This record gives sequence, C-alpha cells and structure tokens, in this order.
Amino acid sequence: MSKESGDLIPGTLDMLVLKALQLEPMHGWGITERIEQWSKNVLSINQGSLYPSLYRLQRQGWITSEWQVTENGRRARYYQITRAGKKQLTEEQRNWKRLSQAVDGILEMTAP
Amino acid sequence: MDSPREIWSRLRLWLRSNEMERDMDEEMRFHIEKLIERNVREGMSPAEARRTALVRFGGVERFKEESRRESRPRLLEELLQDLRYGIRALRRNPGFTLVAVLTLGLGIGANAAIFSVVDGVLLRPVPLENADRLMVVWETDRNTGTTREPASVPDFLDFRGLSRRFEQVAAFQGLELNLVPLEGEPRRLAALAVSHELLPMAGIRPLLGRTFLPADDETGAPGVALIGESFWQKQFASDPGVLGRAIRLDDLPYTVIGVVPDSADFGTLQILSAADYSRAFADRGRAARVEVWVPLRPDPETLPRATHPIFVLGRLAPGATPEQAQQEMTAVMADLEKTYPENTARGAFIEPFPEVVFGPVRPALLVLLGAVALVLLAACANIASLLVARGAVRQREVAVRTVLGAGWRRLLRQFLVESALLTAAGVALGLVLASLTLDLLVAMAPGGIPRLSEVGLDGRVLSVMLAVSVLVALTVGLIPAFQARKTDLQATLKEESGHGSTTDRQRSRLRSVLVVAELALAVVLSVGAGLLLKSFWRLQQIDPGFRTEGVVKAEVQLPASRYPRSFATWPDWPEQQGFNDRLVERVRALPGVESVAMAGNHPLDAGFTNSFSIVGREDEARDWPEIAIRRVSAGYFPTLGVQLVRGRLFQDGDGAKAPPVLLINKEAARRFFQGRDPLGQKISYWRTEWTIVGIVSNERFLGLGEAPPAAVYSPLAQAPSMNGSGCLLVRGRGDLAALIPEIRGAVRELDPGLAVFGEEPLATTLAESMGQQRFTMLLLAAFAGLALVLAVVGVYGVLSFVVVQRAPEMGIRMALGATQRYVVRQVVWQGARLALVGLALGLAGAFVLTRFLSGLLFGVGATDPVTFLAVPGLVLLAALLASWVPAQRATAADPMSILRAS
Repeated sequence: MSKESGDLIPGTLDMLVLKALQLEPMHGWGITERIEQWSKNVLSINQGSLYPSLYRLQRQGWITSEWQVTENGRRARYYQITRAGKKQLTEEQRNWKRLSQAVDGILEMTAP
Repeated sequence: MDSPREIWSRLRLWLRSNEMERDMDEEMRFHIEKLIERNVREGMSPAEARRTALVRFGGVERFKEESRRESRPRLLEELLQDLRYGIRALRRNPGFTLVAVLTLGLGIGANAAIFSVVDGVLLRPVPLENADRLMVVWETDRNTGTTREPASVPDFLDFRGLSRRFEQVAAFQGLELNLVPLEGEPRRLAALAVSHELLPMAGIRPLLGRTFLPADDETGAPGVALIGESFWQKQFASDPGVLGRAIRLDDLPYTVIGVVPDSADFGTLQILSAADYSRAFADRGRAARVEVWVPLRPDPETLPRATHPIFVLGRLAPGATPEQAQQEMTAVMADLEKTYPENTARGAFIEPFPEVVFGPVRPALLVLLGAVALVLLAACANIASLLVARGAVRQREVAVRTVLGAGWRRLLRQFLVESALLTAAGVALGLVLASLTLDLLVAMAPGGIPRLSEVGLDGRVLSVMLAVSVLVALTVGLIPAFQARKTDLQATLKEESGHGSTTDRQRSRLRSVLVVAELALAVVLSVGAGLLLKSFWRLQQIDPGFRTEGVVKAEVQLPASRYPRSFATWPDWPEQQGFNDRLVERVRALPGVESVAMAGNHPLDAGFTNSFSIVGREDEARDWPEIAIRRVSAGYFPTLGVQLVRGRLFQDGDGAKAPPVLLINKEAARRFFQGRDPLGQKISYWRTEWTIVGIVSNERFLGLGEAPPAAVYSPLAQAPSMNGSGCLLVRGRGDLAALIPEIRGAVRELDPGLAVFGEEPLATTLAESMGQQRFTMLLLAAFAGLALVLAVVGVYGVLSFVVVQRAPEMGIRMALGATQRYVVRQVVWQGARLALVGLALGLAGAFVLTRFLSGLLFGVGATDPVTFLAVPGLVLLAALLASWVPAQRATAADPMSILRAS
C-alpha cells in the first residue's frame, strides 16, 4: 500500500500505456498489472488516470478497443495499439530519452 | 426542480451517450472486481477486500467524467489556445511582424493583381457559344507573303455556297461612323457591318428586340441597326421603348430593331488588329468598343473581287476538324484562282478564333504571371528566413515547452498557426494593395487586350488567392517547424545564451540556403527585366523616319451623303477636295501653326496596299508583292520631316485634272528600280498611270519594330479617300494641347455635323504603339525590383545574424590585433559567397527561362551577353552593400564588452 511514492510525471502515463500494449491487446486491469510488474512495483497506476488516458489515446487514434471474453468467460474491453500508436511510441521514447538526458545533465552540472 | 428544457437536454445526452456510459460502467466494474480478487488473494476478507478496492479505485463518477471529457475531440479548444498564443507572440515582435506582413502583402498583392488580369482576359470562358469551333477564314497572298488578309465579298459568297466543313459562314466589316445626336456634338463611333448569320452563329441573343434576318441583308432593304447595351444606357437611358426609334449615322436614318450585350463585339477588335489591312477602328488606339451593328449587305456589284474589305468567320460542322476545313478552303481558293484573274496567288488560312483573340496577349500575360509567382516565392523565402531567425530566439521557449509535454504535433501546429496568422494579415494587406493598383494596371495596359474592362478582384480570383495563401502558410510554417524539431534539447537547456551552438550553425545554413534562393530569383527576374528594358530602349532608338515633336493629329470621317464618292467621277470629288483644302487653309492660319497636312492615314497607320506594275515591265510584276499606297497633301513632307532624296515634292498644281504624279520611297526605289532611274517612269494601279516625280526617305508606318515597307505617295487631290477618312497633321510651336480645341473649332466651322476623333500629339500615338512592350517592361522591372529588395533584405538579415553570432570570435581577433578592415572583409566575404552562389544559380535559371521571353524581345537575344553580365553585377553590388552595413557594425563594437558578454 506504500506505492504512492511512485507517482508518474504528467504526460508519461500515455507512453507507458502504449508500451504495455506494444506486445498484445489487453484490458485496463491487465495494463495496470503489466506496468506495476515491469516497474517492480515502483510505479503504481492510478485507475482514475488510466481510463481517461485510454479514452484520450483512443481519440488520438493511437489505440482501438473491442469487447472480448476473458479466459474466465467474463466480458472485458480489450485495447490494441494502432500503427500510428506505434509510431507515436517511438517518437515519445526518443523525446523521453533526450529529456531525461537533459535533466540528468543539469543535475550533474549543479552538483558540486 | 428541473425545467423541461434541462430535462430534454439531459435526455438527449443520455440517449446519445447511453452505450458509451454502459460500456464505461461495465469496464470499471470489471476493474473493481479484479481489484477485489487480488485483495482476496492477498488474504483479505471479501468485505474488506471490497471496501479497500472501492477506496483504492476512488470516485467512479469523477473518473467517468474525466474519461468522457478525454474522449471528446479537443481540436477547437487547442486551436484557440494556439491562436491566442500566436497573436501574443506576433505582438511582442512588432518589427518582425511588420516586415513579414509587408513582404507577404506585396507578394500576394502583386499576384492577386496580375492573376485577376490573366483570369479576366485569358482564363474566363469566352462569352460566345462554342467559341472553340469558330474559325477565322483569312485570305493569303503568295506574292506578298501575307497570311491574314481580309476577304472579298464574292469570295465570301463562294465560301458560303461551297463549304461543307463549315456548317455556317458569316462575315463582318469594321466601320467608323459619325453619329449626330439630337443634342451635343457629333461623335464618331465604332460600328460593325455584319452578315445576318454572324450574331446567331456566335450565340449572341438580343437583350431586346431581334438580331438581323436574311431580309435585312438584301440590297435596298430599309436601314436597320442594333445598338449595344452601353449605347442604349447612354443614349436612351435604357428606355425599353427604344425599338423602332431612329438614329442618324453618317446622315442616314437607321431604325433600332434590337439591343445586344456589349460583349457581342467580342474578338472582333482582335481580328481587325491581326489583319494586314482594312483594320478600321482597330488602328484608332484604345477607344474601340463597338456601339452599333448594321447589316453588311454583301453585294458583289458594289464590292467586286479585287477589293478585300470583309472578314469571314465560320463554325465547323459537327465532326469536322480545322485541318479538314483548311484543306477544303485551300481547294476552294485554288478553283477560284483558276476562274478569276483577281484571285491570282490567293489562298486561305484557317485560324481558330480563340488563337486570333488571345494569341497576341497570351505570351506577355503568362510571362508576367510567372514573374509574379517568382516574386511570391522570394517573399516566402524571406519570411521563412525571418521565422528561422526568430526560431533562434525562441529555441529555448520551444525546448521548455517540449519538456513541459508539448508534443511535436502540437509544436508543429503552433508554428502553422503563427504562419497562418502572418499569411492572413499579408493576404488582407495584399488584397487591399491589389484592389488599389488594379485600376492603375488596367489603365496602363495597352489597347487591344480582350475584355480588359471586365477585369476585377472577384470570387474566382479570391478563391485562387485563398488556395495560394494556404500553400504559402504551409511553406512558411513548415520550414521553421522542421528546423525547430532538430533542436538539440539538452544543448539548448544547458546553454546560457544562444551563441555558437551546432543548432545555430544549422539555422544559419538554412537561412543561407533561403537567401541564396532569393538571390537566384532576383537574378532571374532582373535578367528578364533587363532584356525587356534593352528591347524597349532598342525600339526607342529606332528612327521612325518621321518627326513627332510638335506634331498633332486629328482624324475625321467624311460621310458619303455630304461628300459624294461616285466611282464614275473618281478622282474628281470636289466636295471632299474642297473640305480638305479649306481645312488645311483654316488650320494654317491658326496662331502657332507652322505647317499643315491632310493625309489618308497618319504615319503609324499601316493603311492599305495594292498590286501594281511598272509601265513597260508588266511581266515582272506577276510575283511582286503589293505596295503600300499613301495619299497625302503637299504639306505632308515638311510637316513630318520626311526628306526629299531626288526629284521634286508635290505642288499645288498636282490636282484632280492634272497629270497623275507619284513619289516613291527609298525602299521602293531599292526594291523595284535596282540599277535604273525611277524618275519619269510610270507606275500603274487603279487603272491609272502615275509618273514618278521624286524619291523620299522611308517611314516606318508598320510600327517601330517593322522594317519600312516599300511605298508610293500620291497627291490626295488625285487620289481622294474612298471611305471618306482623313487625317489632319499639324506642326506647331508651343503648347500642342492648346491647338486641339482650335482644330476642333476649325472643323466645326466647316461642317458642324462632323466628329473629330483621335486628336492627340503624334508622340502619344508613337508611345501608344509601343504600349505592350512598355507595359510588360514596366511590370517586369517592378517585380524584379521587388525581388531584389527582398534579396537585399535577406542578405542583410543573415549577415546581421552572423555578425552577432561571430561577435565573440571577432572580439578575440580584434583584441589580438586584427584590423577593422580584416573584420569587414571577413563579413563581406561571407555575403559575397552567398551572392556568388545565388548568382550562379540565378544565371542558370535565367538561361533556361528567358527563352519564354523571346517572343517579347526586340533587337536583343534571349541570352544577350551584356544583360547576362550587367544584371548579375548589379545584384552582386547590392548584395555586397547589404553585407557591408552589418560588417561595419561588427567593428563598431568594443571588443572587451563583447568578450565579457560571452
């Protein structure tokens, strides 16, 4: 329950969602689990921002969704990344790399 | 309590988003169940697991609301935000904004103005039915080599009877008539005599009444006339009761039977202008709107095969091609040649009507359109360069916004919104400029451009300009946006100030490319303008062979009613001769008048030609071209400064009853009397033998650009005008304009029913004859000047930037003892390098493009070496000057302060 320290920087959630969907279509819960698992539980996904994010990505045409039946026979909405979404992911990854390097650079500089 | 309206709006929302709401509910329920499952797996009791999951998930309704908002499109909201941001950014930099808007305004304005002319004249549909099926049927003459002669009436009647490739054939003739209104001075007007087929064939429907019927074309039928819409408005205040009323034309009454649109004369002026002779009002300059139409009444009795006064138009039969029509007409003409000696050496030339109408103006207009497009390109390059430069200032802003999460798309949009704002302002300014200059442009344009008066900034022009502006906004916006994308975030954020980074160098390189492009465009346009300038100068250097200084002309048309022209008594027409003599006498008595002449045509009117022979050498004449026949009074030669070479000039005694005499010009002597003495020889035409009494110098009455043709001059008294036209030429001292009312007064005293027209200094007539060349030259020079200014501003801008960029380096160099001259040379060299690359590209471009000018040039080749050297020299000089100013600034700064600043 002490995962609150892992709050996300604004704007990065969308990138992580796209990353999570890169391999296979998943439902919202699956995305949450996948990201928490990948980040070894450092990052926690706030459901309150996950769904707005999914709707936003849909509007931008980077993912699509479809109702399917889970292995337990339950209906769930599965999200799938689009071609444009894949391109966007590459783009955002590159930006993120530059940005984090830049920030690192500054931090290193200000350190004595 | 909800009002019914609120309930309704909720209901609507519910209906629309019902499905999405249910999906959302189900999705979130699924998520919560999964959370509960996990909590239970981690060892909680089901109740606790449920409670914790709900707390963990948070306010379901709030998330749903956020999701709903996220799924709604945001474009407008973001666009408004970008717009506000863009306006703020532009207002923060008034200098930049002003320069950019001004540049675009000039570019767009010039394009809008020229495009409206091109669209109005060339592109708009022709106001006639099936104009592309209409053909002009010219006659040709193998002896003279002329290909655009009018036809004779019998030939026309034969075409009409024999042709199968044409479903209809019609003819017209240009006329100049005196209109004597009930009040006010008599007026000369341009009229057309048309065969009854012409207007229906062209698809012209009367606004009122009817057009001509076959019966109207019969010889001896009552006089009827159609009037144009403008004439109807002016003369009859658009009175619908005009039908049946009478107008007096050259003293004869005509009953008005219909009103036709003004466009009913479409193309006739251009056909007349293209003709080798019988051009009627086409030789009168710009006042050439046809106001009245009368029946042609083609009568082979009065107009035999030897005279060629009419123009034939035909409409191709369905399925027939112009080539087939040409073959058929050639065959018809060959038959006629065998039958009639008058048709010796005659053939036919079929030319599509649109070609005749638009052919002469198309090249110049398209060149101007191309030139103005290049100016717009230069303007775009200039603004893009400005935006890139501003990008330098803004790169930190861009970097910060990227860090704050603004995506590339969003940044791109921001740049595009800014360029769209600039373009919108530029377009607004441009359209204002265009509407202000369009009238000037139309007034400056030479006569004879079809439907020039209809040119205007209308919906068509505006929508094309809108499309062009979208392209401009995209170009101008995308270049700096892609530049910004390359920006190195890390470097930018690290840097204290913007000096010397790799990005700056890239930016500088991009600007250099843009400036090189501007210089190249300026070179292309300047070389084009230079070639036209030189052509015009060449043209003006030509001696026309007659003097224009101090000479005024005024023309009259004597109606046959009061000045009878009976061919039986020719040339003894005492009424016409009396009028000419008395007018010359009266005008000579006016104060300030030195000499006066009466002539059949003024010296820039091509007049007409006739076949002829030399008595005793008739056999040679078979393949001689026709000779120009000038009819002049004795005062002509001193008035116009035409020199006597040998023999004598005309004398008072050379009257209608005296032996016929002639003067020939030097060209005629050279062409037809090689190695013989022309004096005393006899020339035969019009069934008269004329004795040559003198040789005079050549006059270029076909225009300055044409070689002086061989000509004979006969005394007006011995060869009076067969259509009653006469031109008074007056040489005076002092104010020529003051002479004109005096001349009008003299004519009125002699004949109050006679209209005086074409009254102007002969120098004006001469200038007007070069109208098209002057128009094209002035416009192209203006565009070249504009492009040059843009290029100079571009060079200046780039080098100013370079100077700021290299200030620390220069500071160090100067601190280490570099001289000011060294620094100046460094900067100027950088400018010179740009200029040289631009020049090389521009010259290559000019080399390729000036061939499109070749039809507009005179006495200059399309790759004239002098122009190709001089013009780039000028551009280079301008570029060096533009780089010298920032170079001076580089040395002016104190090295220490620069070093400290960096």
